[in-house]
Amino acid sequence: MSEPAVTTEEPTFEELLTPMLDPAYGLAITLTGNRADAQDLVQEAALAALRGFGTFQPGSNFKAWFYRILTNCFYGKHRQQKRRPQTVDLDDVPDLYMYARTIETGLHRQTDNPAELVMGRMNVEHVQRAIQALPDDYRSVAGLYFLEDLTYEEIAEALSCPVGTVRSRLHRGRRILQKMLWHIATEEGIVSQLTQEGANT
Amino acid sequence: MMRPSRLTCEQTFRQLNDYLDRALSAEEMRLVEEHLETCAQCASEYRFESTFLDELRSKLQRIAMPDDVRSRLFAKLAADKKPGSPGS
Repeated sequence: MSEPAVTTEEPTFEELLTPMLDPAYGLAITLTGNRADAQDLVQEAALAALRGFGTFQPGSNFKAWFYRILTNCFYGKHRQQKRRPQTVDLDDVPDLYMYARTIETGLHRQTDNPAELVMGRMNVEHVQRAIQALPDDYRSVAGLYFLEDLTYEEIAEALSCPVGTVRSRLHRGRRILQKMLWHIATEEGIVSQLTQEGANT
Repeated sequence: MMRPSRLTCEQTFRQLNDYLDRALSAEEMRLVEEHLETCAQCASEYRFESTFLDELRSKLQRIAMPDDVRSRLFAKLAADKKPGSPGS
């Protein structure tokens, strides 16, 4: 009896796109700062990708290819013209910014994992607010890193920039996020609540 | 061949971000790990940074595209494939 013929069909555009839609939507919110613009951005990128699908090399990195289209759409059209005025000084944020603040406020005496304590009280909206403080180029790197767990190399491919640029933006972006999140946690009363709880135990 | 000497706290600190991103060579990763096993201060800093990144990641990864937005998107893609549409 002869073996059945094995067909190795390439996945369709929709098959490649579907598993990426949640992280792509998350990235779009990270870039635009709101859901309505994020929906428009993903739709525009998906249509552009569909129309250019003939240029995609089967077997190559669809994620990087699609994210390059999405970030190009953002830079071309959706990039915010006006940034909200920044009240927190984000220049030269030192390493271990939040670690140092949690020591100052005595949170290390309450737990051996104060990052879990602080971050556990913060929600997605707090995190998105903090991300909006990042410059555009840093937001795209941070979005791909946190939402897709891409490597430095894959992010560099998606954004068409050198690996060293990705690395430095990511590291500085994380310091800025720590400062913004601590600022939000203080503003929202989370820090005082935690220190109060520590004093009561 | 001589094995590289152990890392100091300063050397470990400088490599911490790349260590968190698993962006070091196997040998560099091993040296940082070795230091973290024996230095409580650096281990505490590492644990903090690692938890911070994990928490951020898990919050952001909870974002999902609403079903109605997804349906509209696929309807647009299908319409775009039809003859006479802009992308056909």
